[in-house]
Amino acid sequence: MTLKRGVPARHALAVYWRTWFAQIRSIVEYPADLWVMASAGAVWNILQFAFLAVLFANVPDVAGWGYHEMLMLSGLLSVAGGCNALFWDGAWSTGSMVIKGDIDYRITRPAPVIIQVGSSHIGMQSIGEVVFGAAMLVYGWIGAGIGLAAVPIGVLAVVCAGIIQSALVTALCAVNFWIKGQASIFAFLLIELQGNAMKMPLGIFPSGVRLVAMFLVPVAFVNFVPVSVVTGHMPAWWLAGVPAAVLGSVLLAVGVYRLGLRAYDSAGH
Amino acid sequence: MTHSLTVDRALVVISFKRRLAYKSHWFFGLAIGGGSMLIAMVMWQNLIGSGTLSGYDWDSMRAYTIIGFVAATMVFGAADWVMADRILDGHIAVDLTKPVDFQRARAAEYIGSMLSTFPTAVMGVVAAWLLFEPPGPASPLAGLLTLVSFALMFPLAFGLTYLSTLVCFWTKRYMGIMWLREALLSFFSGLMIPLAFMPGWLQAVAWALPFPHFTTTPSAIYLGRVDTLGALGLLAAEAAWAVGLWALGWLVFRTAVKKVTVHGG
Repeated sequence: MTLKRGVPARHALAVYWRTWFAQIRSIVEYPADLWVMASAGAVWNILQFAFLAVLFANVPDVAGWGYHEMLMLSGLLSVAGGCNALFWDGAWSTGSMVIKGDIDYRITRPAPVIIQVGSSHIGMQSIGEVVFGAAMLVYGWIGAGIGLAAVPIGVLAVVCAGIIQSALVTALCAVNFWIKGQASIFAFLLIELQGNAMKMPLGIFPSGVRLVAMFLVPVAFVNFVPVSVVTGHMPAWWLAGVPAAVLGSVLLAVGVYRLGLRAYDSAGH
Repeated sequence: MTHSLTVDRALVVISFKRRLAYKSHWFFGLAIGGGSMLIAMVMWQNLIGSGTLSGYDWDSMRAYTIIGFVAATMVFGAADWVMADRILDGHIAVDLTKPVDFQRARAAEYIGSMLSTFPTAVMGVVAAWLLFEPPGPASPLAGLLTLVSFALMFPLAFGLTYLSTLVCFWTKRYMGIMWLREALLSFFSGLMIPLAFMPGWLQAVAWALPFPHFTTTPSAIYLGRVDTLGALGLLAAEAAWAVGLWALGWLVFRTAVKKVTVHGG
Protein backbone atom coordinates (compact mmCIF):
# COMPACT_ATOMS: atom_id res chain seq x y z
CA MET A 1 0.00 0.00 0.00
CA THR A 2 1.37 3.42 -0.83
CA LEU A 3 0.27 6.89 0.18
CA LYS A 4 0.32 10.05 -1.91
CA ARG A 5 3.48 10.64 -4.00
CA GLY A 6 4.62 7.06 -3.58
CA VAL A 7 5.31 7.14 0.16
CA PRO A 8 4.79 3.58 1.42
CA ALA A 9 2.38 3.30 4.37
CA ARG A 10 5.01 1.28 6.27
CA HIS A 11 7.50 4.11 5.87
CA ALA A 12 4.93 6.67 7.05
CA LEU A 13 4.21 4.52 10.10
CA ALA A 14 7.93 4.18 10.83
CA VAL A 15 8.32 7.96 10.63
CA TYR A 16 5.41 8.34 13.04
CA TRP A 17 6.86 6.01 15.66
CA ARG A 18 10.39 7.40 15.39
CA THR A 19 9.10 10.93 15.90
CA TRP A 20 6.86 9.79 18.75
CA PHE A 21 9.74 8.09 20.57
CA ALA A 22 11.89 11.18 20.03
CA GLN A 23 9.17 13.16 21.86
CA ILE A 24 9.27 10.65 24.72
CA ARG A 25 13.05 11.11 25.02
CA SER A 26 12.55 14.87 25.08
CA ILE A 27 9.85 14.65 27.77
CA VAL A 28 11.97 12.74 30.27
CA GLU A 29 14.54 15.55 30.10
CA TYR A 30 12.05 17.84 31.88
CA PRO A 31 10.72 15.88 34.86
CA ALA A 32 8.99 18.89 36.51
CA ASP A 33 6.80 19.39 33.42
CA LEU A 34 6.10 15.70 33.18
CA TRP A 35 4.85 15.52 36.75
CA VAL A 36 2.84 18.76 36.62
CA MET A 37 1.10 17.71 33.42
CA ALA A 38 0.52 14.11 34.52
CA SER A 39 -0.88 15.38 37.85
CA ALA A 40 -3.17 17.83 36.01
CA GLY A 41 -4.67 14.97 33.98
CA ALA A 42 -5.00 12.79 37.08
CA VAL A 43 -6.56 15.50 39.28
CA TRP A 44 -9.05 16.44 36.55
CA ASN A 45 -10.23 12.82 36.37
CA ILE A 46 -10.32 12.37 40.13
CA LEU A 47 -12.54 15.46 40.32
CA GLN A 48 -14.82 14.05 37.61
CA PHE A 49 -15.07 10.92 39.75
CA ALA A 50 -15.81 13.09 42.81
CA PHE A 51 -18.43 15.07 40.85
CA LEU A 52 -20.34 11.91 39.98
CA ALA A 53 -19.97 10.49 43.50
CA VAL A 54 -21.35 13.72 45.01
CA LEU A 55 -24.13 13.94 42.43
CA PHE A 56 -25.28 10.37 42.97
CA ALA A 57 -25.23 10.81 46.73
CA ASN A 58 -28.10 13.23 46.08
CA VAL A 59 -29.97 11.69 43.15
CA PRO A 60 -30.76 8.03 42.33
CA ASP A 61 -30.27 8.38 38.55
CA VAL A 62 -29.89 10.85 35.69
CA ALA A 63 -32.50 10.20 32.98
CA GLY A 64 -32.44 6.49 33.84
CA TRP A 65 -28.64 6.25 34.01
CA GLY A 66 -27.03 5.00 37.23
CA TYR A 67 -23.77 5.97 38.92
CA HIS A 68 -21.63 3.23 37.39
CA GLU A 69 -23.00 3.79 33.89
CA MET A 70 -22.22 7.49 34.16
CA LEU A 71 -18.71 6.62 35.38
CA MET A 72 -18.25 4.61 32.19
CA LEU A 73 -19.33 7.62 30.10
CA SER A 74 -16.81 9.90 31.82
CA GLY A 75 -14.09 7.25 31.82
CA LEU A 76 -14.34 6.47 28.11
CA LEU A 77 -14.40 10.18 27.26
CA SER A 78 -11.25 10.73 29.32
CA VAL A 79 -9.47 7.78 27.71
CA ALA A 80 -10.40 9.12 24.26
CA GLY A 81 -9.05 12.59 25.10
CA GLY A 82 -5.97 10.97 26.65
CA CYS A 83 -5.32 8.88 23.52
CA ASN A 84 -5.56 12.03 21.39
CA ALA A 85 -3.02 13.79 23.65
CA LEU A 86 -0.74 10.76 23.85
CA PHE A 87 -0.61 9.75 20.20
CA TRP A 88 -1.76 12.75 18.17
CA ASP A 89 -1.30 15.93 20.21
CA GLY A 90 0.72 17.62 17.46
CA ALA A 91 -2.52 18.28 15.53
CA TRP A 92 -3.13 21.12 18.01
CA SER A 93 0.04 22.84 16.68
CA THR A 94 -1.39 23.14 13.15
CA GLY A 95 -2.46 26.78 13.63
CA SER A 96 0.88 27.87 15.02
CA MET A 97 2.79 25.98 12.29
CA VAL A 98 0.68 27.65 9.59
CA ILE A 99 1.33 31.13 10.98
CA LYS A 100 5.07 30.58 11.43
CA GLY A 101 5.49 28.86 8.07
CA ASP A 102 6.62 25.68 9.83
CA ILE A 103 4.54 23.59 7.44
CA ASP A 104 7.19 24.40 4.79
CA TYR A 105 9.64 21.95 6.35
CA ARG A 106 7.00 19.23 6.55
CA ILE A 107 6.04 19.61 2.88
CA THR A 108 9.62 19.05 1.73
CA ARG A 109 10.12 15.86 3.76
CA PRO A 110 9.30 12.43 2.30
CA ALA A 111 6.43 11.60 4.69
CA PRO A 112 2.77 12.68 4.84
CA VAL A 113 2.47 16.16 6.42
CA ILE A 114 -0.44 15.09 8.63
CA ILE A 115 1.69 12.27 10.12
CA GLN A 116 4.58 14.64 10.81
CA VAL A 117 2.36 17.25 12.44
CA GLY A 118 0.31 14.75 14.47
CA SER A 119 3.41 13.16 15.97
CA SER A 120 5.20 16.44 16.68
CA HIS A 121 4.07 16.67 20.29
CA ILE A 122 2.86 14.56 23.20
CA GLY A 123 0.47 16.02 25.78
CA MET A 124 1.84 14.72 29.05
CA GLN A 125 -1.50 15.15 30.80
CA SER A 126 -2.49 12.10 28.80
CA ILE A 127 -0.76 9.83 31.33
CA GLY A 128 -3.16 10.91 34.07
CA GLU A 129 -6.12 10.97 31.68
CA VAL A 130 -5.59 7.49 30.29
CA VAL A 131 -4.75 5.84 33.64
CA PHE A 132 -7.55 7.43 35.68
CA GLY A 133 -10.02 7.41 32.77
CA ALA A 134 -9.41 3.68 32.36
CA ALA A 135 -9.79 3.22 36.12
CA MET A 136 -13.20 4.96 35.98
CA LEU A 137 -14.22 2.88 32.99
CA VAL A 138 -13.23 -0.42 34.62
CA TYR A 139 -14.77 0.51 37.99
CA GLY A 140 -17.99 1.54 36.27
CA TRP A 141 -17.93 -1.61 34.12
CA ILE A 142 -17.64 -3.88 37.16
CA GLY A 143 -20.15 -1.85 39.18
CA ALA A 144 -22.71 -1.90 36.35
CA GLY A 145 -22.45 -5.69 36.31
CA ILE A 146 -21.25 -6.00 32.72
CA GLY A 147 -19.55 -9.34 32.29
CA LEU A 148 -16.29 -10.37 30.66
CA ALA A 149 -18.12 -11.43 27.49
CA ALA A 150 -18.47 -7.77 26.50
CA VAL A 151 -14.76 -6.98 27.00
CA PRO A 152 -13.95 -7.24 23.25
CA ILE A 153 -16.63 -4.59 22.63
CA GLY A 154 -15.02 -2.45 25.33
CA VAL A 155 -11.56 -2.77 23.75
CA LEU A 156 -12.98 -1.93 20.32
CA ALA A 157 -14.81 1.05 21.84
CA VAL A 158 -11.60 2.40 23.41
CA VAL A 159 -9.62 2.09 20.15
CA CYS A 160 -12.41 3.66 18.08
CA ALA A 161 -12.98 6.44 20.66
CA GLY A 162 -9.30 7.44 20.46
CA ILE A 163 -9.38 7.49 16.66
CA ILE A 164 -12.67 9.43 16.34
CA GLN A 165 -11.54 11.96 18.93
CA SER A 166 -8.15 12.50 17.25
CA ALA A 167 -9.72 12.73 13.79
CA LEU A 168 -12.35 15.30 14.81
CA VAL A 169 -9.73 17.40 16.59
CA THR A 170 -7.48 17.21 13.51
CA ALA A 171 -10.29 18.26 11.16
CA LEU A 172 -11.16 21.25 13.36
CA CYS A 173 -7.49 22.22 13.88
CA ALA A 174 -7.08 22.19 10.08
CA VAL A 175 -9.60 25.05 9.90
CA ASN A 176 -6.59 27.19 10.90
CA PHE A 177 -5.27 26.81 7.34
CA TRP A 178 -7.98 29.32 6.38
CA ILE A 179 -8.83 31.10 9.64
CA LYS A 180 -5.35 31.99 10.81
CA GLY A 181 -4.55 32.01 14.51
CA GLN A 182 -2.24 30.47 17.09
CA ALA A 183 -5.10 28.83 18.97
CA SER A 184 -7.26 26.12 17.43
CA ILE A 185 -10.43 27.73 18.70
CA PHE A 186 -12.89 25.42 16.95
CA ALA A 187 -11.18 22.29 18.22
CA PHE A 188 -11.00 23.84 21.68
CA LEU A 189 -14.69 24.67 21.50
CA LEU A 190 -15.44 21.06 20.59
CA ILE A 191 -13.40 19.73 23.51
CA GLU A 192 -14.96 22.11 26.03
CA LEU A 193 -18.57 21.51 25.02
CA GLN A 194 -18.02 17.78 24.50
CA GLY A 195 -16.39 17.57 27.95
CA ASN A 196 -19.44 19.18 29.53
CA ALA A 197 -22.23 17.60 27.52
CA MET A 198 -21.04 14.09 26.69
CA LYS A 199 -20.46 13.03 30.29
CA MET A 200 -24.26 13.25 30.55
CA PRO A 201 -26.80 10.90 28.95
CA LEU A 202 -27.69 12.33 25.54
CA GLY A 203 -31.39 11.82 26.29
CA ILE A 204 -31.55 14.86 28.59
CA PHE A 205 -30.77 17.22 25.69
CA PRO A 206 -33.19 18.56 23.05
CA SER A 207 -33.47 16.54 19.84
CA GLY A 208 -31.42 19.09 17.85
CA VAL A 209 -28.40 18.57 20.12
CA ARG A 210 -28.82 14.79 19.86
CA LEU A 211 -28.88 14.90 16.06
CA VAL A 212 -25.77 17.08 15.90
CA ALA A 213 -23.87 14.84 18.34
CA MET A 214 -24.87 11.67 16.48
CA PHE A 215 -24.63 12.61 12.82
CA LEU A 216 -23.07 16.02 12.22
CA VAL A 217 -20.13 16.02 14.66
CA PRO A 218 -20.28 12.38 15.74
CA VAL A 219 -18.99 12.85 19.29
CA ALA A 220 -21.75 10.54 20.55
CA PHE A 221 -19.87 7.60 19.01
CA VAL A 222 -16.81 8.39 21.14
CA ASN A 223 -18.45 7.36 24.40
CA PHE A 224 -22.25 7.58 24.49
CA VAL A 225 -23.17 4.97 21.84
CA PRO A 226 -20.74 2.21 22.94
CA VAL A 227 -21.57 2.69 26.63
CA SER A 228 -25.31 2.75 25.81
CA VAL A 229 -25.00 -0.53 23.93
CA VAL A 230 -23.05 -2.44 26.60
CA THR A 231 -25.35 -1.16 29.35
CA GLY A 232 -28.49 -2.01 27.38
CA HIS A 233 -29.74 1.55 26.84
CA MET A 234 -29.47 1.12 23.04
CA PRO A 235 -29.87 -1.95 20.80
CA ALA A 236 -26.65 -3.72 19.75
CA TRP A 237 -26.96 -2.78 16.07
CA TRP A 238 -25.95 0.78 16.99
CA LEU A 239 -22.42 -0.58 17.45
CA ALA A 240 -22.12 -0.74 13.66
CA GLY A 241 -22.17 3.04 13.75
CA VAL A 242 -18.90 3.16 15.71
CA PRO A 243 -16.56 1.91 12.94
CA ALA A 244 -18.63 3.96 10.47
CA ALA A 245 -17.96 7.05 12.60
CA VAL A 246 -14.26 6.13 12.67
CA LEU A 247 -14.17 5.92 8.87
CA GLY A 248 -16.20 9.11 8.42
CA SER A 249 -14.17 11.19 10.86
CA VAL A 250 -10.80 9.94 9.53
CA LEU A 251 -11.85 10.69 5.93
CA LEU A 252 -13.06 14.11 7.08
CA ALA A 253 -9.75 14.86 8.83
CA VAL A 254 -7.63 13.72 5.87
CA GLY A 255 -9.86 15.57 3.41
CA VAL A 256 -9.88 18.87 5.30
CA TYR A 257 -6.12 18.64 5.89
CA ARG A 258 -5.43 18.03 2.20
CA LEU A 259 -7.61 20.96 1.21
CA GLY A 260 -5.86 23.04 3.85
CA LEU A 261 -2.44 22.15 2.47
CA ARG A 262 -3.59 23.24 -0.98
CA ALA A 263 -4.67 26.59 0.48
CA TYR A 264 -1.42 26.94 2.48
CA ASP A 265 0.74 29.80 1.24
CA SER A 266 3.50 29.78 3.88
CA ALA A 267 4.17 32.73 6.20
CA GLY A 268 4.23 36.38 5.18
CA HIS A 269 2.02 36.22 2.08
CA MET B 1 -2.12 60.76 41.64
CA THR B 2 1.27 59.18 42.29
CA HIS B 3 3.49 57.91 39.54
CA SER B 4 2.75 54.31 40.47
CA LEU B 5 -0.99 54.78 40.17
CA THR B 6 -0.51 56.39 36.76
CA VAL B 7 1.52 53.36 35.67
CA ASP B 8 -1.11 51.01 37.08
CA ARG B 9 -3.87 52.82 35.21
CA ALA B 10 -1.87 52.81 31.98
CA LEU B 11 -1.24 49.07 32.28
CA VAL B 12 -4.93 48.40 32.98
CA VAL B 13 -5.95 50.42 29.92
CA ILE B 14 -3.33 48.83 27.61
CA SER B 15 -4.27 45.32 28.70
CA PHE B 16 -7.98 46.11 28.34
CA LYS B 17 -7.51 47.52 24.82
CA ARG B 18 -5.24 44.66 23.76
CA ARG B 19 -7.89 42.13 24.73
CA LEU B 20 -10.74 44.07 23.15
CA ALA B 21 -8.82 44.20 19.86
CA TYR B 22 -9.46 40.47 19.47
CA LYS B 23 -13.21 40.41 18.98
CA SER B 24 -13.16 36.67 18.38
CA HIS B 25 -12.43 36.30 22.13
CA TRP B 26 -15.92 37.65 22.84
CA PHE B 27 -17.57 35.11 20.62
CA PHE B 28 -15.32 32.34 21.87
CA GLY B 29 -15.92 33.18 25.54
CA LEU B 30 -19.66 33.40 24.93
CA ALA B 31 -19.76 30.13 23.00
CA ILE B 32 -17.83 28.19 25.65
CA GLY B 33 -19.29 29.88 28.72
CA GLY B 34 -22.81 30.10 27.29
CA GLY B 35 -22.65 26.49 26.05
CA SER B 36 -21.51 25.25 29.46
CA MET B 37 -24.25 27.29 31.14
CA LEU B 38 -26.94 25.82 28.86
CA ILE B 39 -25.68 22.28 29.51
CA ALA B 40 -25.75 22.91 33.28
CA MET B 41 -29.28 24.35 32.99
CA VAL B 42 -30.51 21.29 31.12
CA MET B 43 -28.91 18.93 33.65
CA TRP B 44 -30.32 20.69 36.71
CA GLN B 45 -33.77 21.11 35.18
CA ASN B 46 -33.79 17.38 34.52
CA LEU B 47 -32.63 16.53 38.05
CA ILE B 48 -34.59 19.04 40.10
CA GLY B 49 -37.84 19.23 38.15
CA SER B 50 -40.46 20.68 40.46
CA GLY B 51 -38.74 19.49 43.66
CA THR B 52 -35.65 20.58 45.56
CA LEU B 53 -32.12 19.20 45.95
CA SER B 54 -29.97 20.18 48.95
CA GLY B 55 -32.08 23.30 49.39
CA TYR B 56 -32.00 24.36 45.73
CA ASP B 57 -35.19 24.50 43.70
CA TRP B 58 -35.27 25.17 39.95
CA ASP B 59 -35.65 28.94 40.51
CA SER B 60 -32.61 29.25 42.75
CA MET B 61 -30.56 26.86 40.61
CA ARG B 62 -31.16 29.06 37.55
CA ALA B 63 -29.77 32.07 39.40
CA TYR B 64 -26.89 29.95 40.77
CA THR B 65 -25.93 28.73 37.29
CA ILE B 66 -25.95 32.26 35.84
CA ILE B 67 -23.77 33.55 38.71
CA GLY B 68 -21.38 30.64 38.03
CA PHE B 69 -21.29 31.63 34.35
CA VAL B 70 -20.36 35.25 35.17
CA ALA B 71 -17.63 34.13 37.61
CA ALA B 72 -16.22 31.60 35.11
CA THR B 73 -16.24 34.17 32.28
CA MET B 74 -14.33 36.66 34.41
CA VAL B 75 -11.79 34.22 35.80
CA PHE B 76 -11.21 31.85 32.88
CA GLY B 77 -11.31 34.65 30.29
CA ALA B 78 -8.50 36.73 31.82
CA ALA B 79 -5.00 36.89 30.38
CA ASP B 80 -3.08 34.45 32.55
CA TRP B 81 -1.00 33.27 29.55
CA VAL B 82 0.58 36.71 29.21
CA MET B 83 1.94 36.46 32.74
CA ALA B 84 3.18 32.90 32.28
CA ASP B 85 4.76 33.64 28.90
CA ARG B 86 6.82 36.51 30.35
CA ILE B 87 8.46 34.02 32.67
CA LEU B 88 8.76 31.22 30.11
CA ASP B 89 10.13 33.26 27.20
CA GLY B 90 12.49 35.34 29.34
CA HIS B 91 10.76 38.72 29.03
CA ILE B 92 10.83 38.83 32.80
CA ALA B 93 14.53 39.78 32.55
CA VAL B 94 13.46 43.04 30.88
CA ASP B 95 10.66 43.53 33.43
CA LEU B 96 13.13 43.27 36.28
CA THR B 97 15.11 46.22 34.89
CA LYS B 98 12.03 48.48 34.88
CA PRO B 99 11.28 50.81 37.81
CA VAL B 100 7.93 49.08 38.27
CA ASP B 101 6.98 46.48 40.83
CA PHE B 102 6.59 43.20 38.89
CA GLN B 103 3.64 41.86 40.88
CA ARG B 104 1.76 45.15 40.85
CA ALA B 105 2.31 45.61 37.12
CA ARG B 106 1.02 42.08 36.39
CA ALA B 107 -1.97 42.74 38.67
CA ALA B 108 -2.84 45.87 36.69
CA GLU B 109 -2.58 43.98 33.39
CA TYR B 110 -4.61 41.06 34.75
CA ILE B 111 -7.38 43.30 36.04
CA GLY B 112 -7.47 45.08 32.67
CA SER B 113 -7.93 41.72 30.97
CA MET B 114 -10.66 40.74 33.46
CA LEU B 115 -12.50 43.98 32.66
CA SER B 116 -12.38 43.04 28.99
CA THR B 117 -14.57 40.00 29.71
CA PHE B 118 -17.46 42.35 30.58
CA PRO B 119 -19.01 42.38 27.07
CA THR B 120 -19.08 38.56 27.07
CA ALA B 121 -20.47 38.38 30.60
CA VAL B 122 -23.12 41.05 29.91
CA MET B 123 -24.23 39.43 26.63
CA GLY B 124 -24.43 36.04 28.33
CA VAL B 125 -26.37 37.32 31.33
CA VAL B 126 -28.86 39.26 29.17
CA ALA B 127 -29.45 36.18 26.99
CA ALA B 128 -29.77 33.94 30.06
CA TRP B 129 -32.17 36.42 31.69
CA LEU B 130 -34.39 36.45 28.61
CA LEU B 131 -34.29 32.66 28.24
CA PHE B 132 -34.57 31.54 31.85
CA GLU B 133 -35.97 34.48 33.86
CA PRO B 134 -34.06 33.76 37.08
CA PRO B 135 -35.30 35.24 40.38
CA GLY B 136 -33.90 38.58 41.56
CA PRO B 137 -31.68 38.98 44.65
CA ALA B 138 -33.16 38.11 48.05
CA SER B 139 -33.08 41.83 48.96
CA PRO B 140 -31.57 45.05 47.54
CA LEU B 141 -28.80 44.78 50.18
CA ALA B 142 -28.11 41.19 49.09
CA GLY B 143 -27.84 42.41 45.50
CA LEU B 144 -25.37 45.11 46.55
CA LEU B 145 -23.26 42.70 48.60
CA THR B 146 -23.22 40.27 45.65
CA LEU B 147 -21.66 43.03 43.56
CA VAL B 148 -19.06 43.58 46.31
CA SER B 149 -18.29 39.86 46.20
CA PHE B 150 -17.79 40.07 42.42
CA ALA B 151 -15.52 43.11 42.88
CA LEU B 152 -13.38 41.21 45.40
CA MET B 153 -13.05 38.43 42.84
CA PHE B 154 -10.64 40.64 40.87
CA PRO B 155 -7.78 40.66 43.43
CA LEU B 156 -8.62 37.11 44.49
CA ALA B 157 -8.43 35.76 40.95
CA PHE B 158 -5.19 37.62 40.39
CA GLY B 159 -3.63 36.24 43.58
CA LEU B 160 -4.50 32.68 42.64
CA THR B 161 -3.45 33.04 39.00
CA TYR B 162 -0.22 34.87 39.84
CA LEU B 163 0.82 32.17 42.29
CA SER B 164 0.14 29.47 39.71
CA THR B 165 2.06 31.27 36.96
CA LEU B 166 5.07 31.55 39.27
CA VAL B 167 5.35 27.76 39.03
CA CYS B 168 6.65 28.45 35.48
CA PHE B 169 9.98 29.35 37.08
CA TRP B 170 10.39 25.60 37.62
CA THR B 171 8.66 24.26 34.50
CA LYS B 172 8.98 24.77 30.75
CA ARG B 173 5.26 24.89 29.98
CA TYR B 174 2.19 26.48 31.55
CA MET B 175 -0.62 24.33 30.15
CA GLY B 176 -0.64 21.69 32.91
CA ILE B 177 -0.51 24.27 35.68
CA MET B 178 -3.47 26.09 34.16
CA TRP B 179 -5.51 22.89 33.88
CA LEU B 180 -4.70 21.94 37.44
CA ARG B 181 -5.80 25.35 38.72
CA GLU B 182 -8.97 25.39 36.61
CA ALA B 183 -9.91 21.85 37.63
CA LEU B 184 -9.55 22.65 41.32
CA LEU B 185 -11.38 25.95 40.88
CA SER B 186 -14.26 24.38 38.95
CA PHE B 187 -14.83 21.72 41.59
CA PHE B 188 -14.15 23.50 44.87
CA SER B 189 -15.84 26.77 43.84
CA GLY B 190 -19.13 24.95 43.36
CA LEU B 191 -19.14 25.70 39.65
CA MET B 192 -19.31 22.01 38.75
CA ILE B 193 -21.72 21.09 41.55
CA PRO B 194 -22.91 23.26 44.49
CA LEU B 195 -20.94 22.74 47.71
CA ALA B 196 -24.25 22.09 49.52
CA PHE B 197 -24.43 18.74 47.67
CA MET B 198 -21.09 17.62 49.12
CA PRO B 199 -20.59 15.66 52.34
CA GLY B 200 -19.58 17.71 55.39
CA TRP B 201 -15.89 16.81 55.29
CA LEU B 202 -15.57 17.80 51.61
CA GLN B 203 -17.35 21.10 52.28
CA ALA B 204 -14.86 21.74 55.10
CA VAL B 205 -11.98 21.08 52.69
CA ALA B 206 -13.52 23.46 50.14
CA TRP B 207 -14.07 26.24 52.68
CA ALA B 208 -10.46 25.93 53.83
CA LEU B 209 -9.46 26.99 50.29
CA PRO B 210 -10.01 30.28 48.44
CA PHE B 211 -12.07 28.66 45.66
CA PRO B 212 -15.66 28.86 47.08
CA HIS B 213 -15.56 32.65 46.78
CA PHE B 214 -15.74 32.33 42.99
CA THR B 215 -19.30 30.96 42.88
CA THR B 216 -20.62 29.83 46.24
CA THR B 217 -20.09 33.13 48.09
CA PRO B 218 -21.82 35.44 45.55
CA SER B 219 -24.65 32.97 44.96
CA ALA B 220 -25.22 32.35 48.69
CA ILE B 221 -25.47 36.11 49.26
CA TYR B 222 -27.66 36.70 46.18
CA LEU B 223 -30.11 33.92 47.03
CA GLY B 224 -30.29 34.85 50.72
CA ARG B 225 -28.85 31.52 51.86
CA VAL B 226 -26.89 33.55 54.44
CA ASP B 227 -28.14 36.53 56.49
CA THR B 228 -26.48 39.97 56.36
CA LEU B 229 -23.99 39.10 59.10
CA GLY B 230 -23.11 35.85 57.34
CA ALA B 231 -22.72 37.70 54.06
CA LEU B 232 -20.35 40.22 55.65
CA GLY B 233 -18.38 37.32 57.15
CA LEU B 234 -18.05 35.68 53.72
CA LEU B 235 -16.92 38.97 52.18
CA ALA B 236 -14.37 39.43 54.98
CA ALA B 237 -13.03 35.92 54.30
CA GLU B 238 -12.87 36.67 50.57
CA ALA B 239 -10.96 39.92 51.23
CA ALA B 240 -8.62 38.13 53.66
CA TRP B 241 -7.82 35.52 50.99
CA ALA B 242 -7.10 38.28 48.47
CA VAL B 243 -4.64 39.92 50.88
CA GLY B 244 -3.12 36.59 51.95
CA LEU B 245 -2.58 35.41 48.37
CA TRP B 246 -0.99 38.75 47.47
CA ALA B 247 1.47 38.36 50.36
CA LEU B 248 2.15 34.74 49.46
CA GLY B 249 2.74 35.74 45.83
CA TRP B 250 5.25 38.36 46.98
CA LEU B 251 7.09 35.79 49.11
CA VAL B 252 7.17 33.12 46.41
CA PHE B 253 8.36 35.61 43.80
CA ARG B 254 11.32 36.59 46.00
CA THR B 255 12.44 32.96 46.03
CA ALA B 256 11.46 32.13 42.46
CA VAL B 257 13.17 35.09 40.81
CA LYS B 258 16.55 33.74 41.92
CA LYS B 259 15.95 30.91 39.45
CA VAL B 260 15.79 33.18 36.38
CA THR B 261 17.92 31.70 33.63
CA VAL B 262 17.08 33.26 30.28
CA HIS B 263 18.04 31.11 27.32
CA GLY B 264 20.50 29.18 29.45
CA GLY B 265 22.40 32.27 30.65
